[in-house]
Amino acid sequence: MGIVSEVSVATAPARRAHQGRTRSIGVIMGLIGLFTLLVFGVGSGLSAQSSLTFNPVNLSGTIPWHVGTLTLSTAWTNIVLALAMIALAVEVNLRLPARGVMVRFGVVAVLFFFALLLWAARTGGPAPINFVNLTAVLVGSSALAMVLIYGSLSGVMCERAGVVNIAIEGQFIGGAFVGSMIASTTHNFIYAAVVGALVGALLGLILAFLSLRYLSDQIIVGVVLVTMLGSLSSYLNLQVFTPFPQYNTGNLAPDLPIPLLAKIPLLGPVFFNQTGFFYLMIVLVALVSFGLFRTRWGLRVRAVGEHPKAATTVGIRVIGVRYVNVIVGGAIAGVGGVAFMASQGQFQPGYTSGLGYIALAALIFGRWRPSGAVVASVLFGLSVYLADNLQTYQIPVPTEVLGMFPYVITIAVVSGLIGRVRPPAADGIPYQRD
Amino acid sequence: MSDAAVHVSWWARLRSRPALVTLFALLLGFVVGALVIVTTTASVLDAWRGIFHSWSAPGHAVKLTVDNVGSAYRTMFEGAILSPSNFWHALTTGHGWPLALTPLSETLTYATPLAIASIGVGIAFQTGIFNIGANGQAILGGIAGAAVGSMIHLPMFLHLPLTLLAGLLGGVVGGMVPGLLKAYTGAHEVIVTLMFNYVVAAFLILTLLSTALQMPGQQNDISRTIDGSAQLPPLFGASSGLRVNWGLFVAAAVAVFAWWFLERSSLGFDFRVTGANPQAARASGINAKAVIVLVFAISGGLAGLAGVTQMAGTTHFVDGGFLIGNAGIGFTAITVSLLGRNRPGGIVLASLLFAALGVGGRAMQAATGIPLDLATVIQSAVVLFVATPVLVKEIFRLRTAPTAAVQLATKGWGS
Repeated sequence: MGIVSEVSVATAPARRAHQGRTRSIGVIMGLIGLFTLLVFGVGSGLSAQSSLTFNPVNLSGTIPWHVGTLTLSTAWTNIVLALAMIALAVEVNLRLPARGVMVRFGVVAVLFFFALLLWAARTGGPAPINFVNLTAVLVGSSALAMVLIYGSLSGVMCERAGVVNIAIEGQFIGGAFVGSMIASTTHNFIYAAVVGALVGALLGLILAFLSLRYLSDQIIVGVVLVTMLGSLSSYLNLQVFTPFPQYNTGNLAPDLPIPLLAKIPLLGPVFFNQTGFFYLMIVLVALVSFGLFRTRWGLRVRAVGEHPKAATTVGIRVIGVRYVNVIVGGAIAGVGGVAFMASQGQFQPGYTSGLGYIALAALIFGRWRPSGAVVASVLFGLSVYLADNLQTYQIPVPTEVLGMFPYVITIAVVSGLIGRVRPPAADGIPYQRD
Repeated sequence: MSDAAVHVSWWARLRSRPALVTLFALLLGFVVGALVIVTTTASVLDAWRGIFHSWSAPGHAVKLTVDNVGSAYRTMFEGAILSPSNFWHALTTGHGWPLALTPLSETLTYATPLAIASIGVGIAFQTGIFNIGANGQAILGGIAGAAVGSMIHLPMFLHLPLTLLAGLLGGVVGGMVPGLLKAYTGAHEVIVTLMFNYVVAAFLILTLLSTALQMPGQQNDISRTIDGSAQLPPLFGASSGLRVNWGLFVAAAVAVFAWWFLERSSLGFDFRVTGANPQAARASGINAKAVIVLVFAISGGLAGLAGVTQMAGTTHFVDGGFLIGNAGIGFTAITVSLLGRNRPGGIVLASLLFAALGVGGRAMQAATGIPLDLATVIQSAVVLFVATPVLVKEIFRLRTAPTAAVQLATKGWGS
C-alpha cells in the first residue's frame, strides 16, 4: 500500500506541467465559448429565430409521441450556451481538476456544434431550410458513432495487448464487402455479421502472424493491409459486383424498436429504435470495459501490453494473449464494417473514406479506454455527420473545416497541446523471449 | 574464416544474398496476383469445378488458367515496357516510334514523382522515422507549385525553378509540423502524419475553392492551369505525344543528391547513426531534436518536390482528386521505399517497377477487362513479403540473410 501511494504521488514538476496543460485546455475552451458568444450569439441579430423539430425522419414501426416545433431566439439561446461553455472554462481554469477535463472539453465541443446548427438554421440566414431536425441529426450521427465505436473497441483490444492495429480501416472495408455480399444473398444480417467477423478475424490473424511470429513492423503491415484491402475490394467490386449486381443490393438492416422506450421523444429514436448492430455495440462496450478492468483476463491483457517481460515471469503466455486479442479485435472491426454497410447501403470502393483512421483517432483521444473511446467516437461521429450534411444549410463556414476536426484534435492531443495521453507501455513493440 | 568461405558452393552463396529475398518476394507477389485472377474469373473457376467430368477436363482447366494469367501479365508487360510487335514495326519501317515508345514513356512519367517521394520516405526510414505524411506533403507541394505557377508570370528560366522551389518549400512546411511536434512534444510521428494527411486533404479543397486559385468560371474544386513557362517540358517535344518530361532529371538529381547525402555527408551519417542506434547517437553528441526536425524537413521537402513535379510535368493543374485515393503517391512511396531497402539506388529501381505495374495494370484492364486494382494488390503483396523477410526465407529455404530488409526501430506510440 505504501509503495503504491508513493508511486502515485506525482513529482512537483510533473504536477505543474500537468496543471499547465489543464490550464491551456481551459483557455482553449474559453476561446471557443467567446467565439460562440460573439459570432453565433450576438452576431446573429436579436430578431433571428431558430426552430427545432423532433420528429424522426424514419417512422418505421413506431408512432412516436409527436412533439411540436420549438422556436427559440437564436441570439439568446446561443448566448446562454456560450455562457455555459465559458462557465465550464472558468471552472477548469480555477479548480484545475485532475480528472474529467477532456469530458468537459467534449461537452464544450458538443455545445459548440449545437450552437453552430442553431446559427446556421436561423431565419434570415442563408439556409434554404429554416429548421433543425435534432432527432435526424442525432440519429444520423449515432450511425457513424456506432461504426467508430466498433473500430476503436477493436483498437482497444489490440493495443491494450501491445499490438498496434492500424488496419482497422482495412477490416472495415473487408467487413463491409462480405457483409454486403452475404446480406444481399441471404437477407440475413446475422449471417452477414458472422462472416464479417470472420473476415476481420482473418485480417487480424494476418497482422498477428506477421508481427508476432515474424516480427514485422506492425505499422507497416497495418498500412499495407489497408492498401491491399482497398485495392482488392475495388478489384472484386468490378470483377464480381458489376457483372452480378444481385450480390450487392445493399439492403439496410431493419430497425428493431424496443417497446415503449422507442417512443420517448428524441432519446427513443436515438437509443431504442436502432438496428441490431447498435445494441450489439452497446453489449460489446460493456463486455470489453468490464473484461479489461474487472476480470483476471483483463489484468493479464493489460500486463502483456504494459510489461510483457513481467507478464512472462508470472507465467502468462504473452504471444498467445496477443494472438487472441488481435484476432478478436479484428473480428470486432469486421462487424463494424458490416454495421457500416448495413446503415449506408450498397458497397462501393472507398466508401468507408478513412473512417477506420478516425476510429484510431477516437481510440487515442479516448486514452485507450473503452469509455473514452465511446465519448470520442460520439464527438467525432457528430462532427463527421455535420461536415457531411451542413451543406444543406449553406453556411459560410466551409464544411472542410469541420471535417478536419477529428484529425486536428487528435494531433493536439498526442502532442500534449491539450491533455496528455499515455499509450500502453509496450504498444507496438515486438516481444521476443530470449 | 576465409578457408571456410572458399568451400561454399555457388548455390549456397547465391542463397544467402539479401537481394534474393526481394526477388522472391516479387515472385510471391505475382503468384498472389495470379491466384486472385484465377479465383475471380468465372470461366476459369468453372473449368476447375468440372475437372472430374472428363479425362480432358484437368488439362483444359490448366490451359485456361495459364491462358488467363498469361494474357493478363503479358498485356501488363506490353503496356508498361514494350510491345514486341509495335517495336518491330517501328524498327523495320522507321514509322510509329511514338507508339512503340509510349509504354516506356508512361512508366517513366509515373516513376518520376514516385521516386522523388520514395527517396524522401527512405531517408526518414534510415533515420528511424516513419513518415506516413508524404501524401499530404506532396499535396501541399502541388498546391504551392500551382499557386506560383498560375499567379505570377515570369520567363521560364525563372518561373520553372521558382515553381519547383515553391513545391519543395510547401513540402518542407508540411514536414516541419510533425517534425517539430515530435521533437518538442514527443508526439508519435505516425499518428501525427496520418492525421495530417486528412487535414491537408481538406485544406486542398479549401484552397481550390478560393478565388485566388480556382479556375475562373468553375464551381468545382479545380485550380487554374499553370503557365507554360512553369511547366516541365516534354522530353521529346510536345509533337511526339510522349508525356515523359524533364522531371526525369529532377528525379535523377534527387537520387544522386540522396546518395551523396546519406553515404558521403556528415549530416547524413548522423542521420543513419540516429536510425541505427539512437542511444549511440545521443552518446556521441548528435542533437536528436535537430536531427528529427531536419529529417522531416528533407523528407517533407522531397515529398513536396514530388507533388510539384507531378503537377508541373503531367497534370499542369491541381484538382480535388490530386494524389488522393488508394494509390496516392505518398502511400505507394512507403511501399516503394521498403522494396528498395530505403537506399536511393534500390528506390529508383523499385519505383520503376511499381510505375510499370501501375501503367501495365491500366493496359491490362483495357485489353483483358481485369481491373487495374490488381496491380495495387500485387504491389501490397510484394511489400508484405518484403517486410517479412523471414517468411520468404522459410518458404524458399534461403540461408540467413546478413541484414533484414526492413531495419526499422519499431517504437511504441508514446515514445
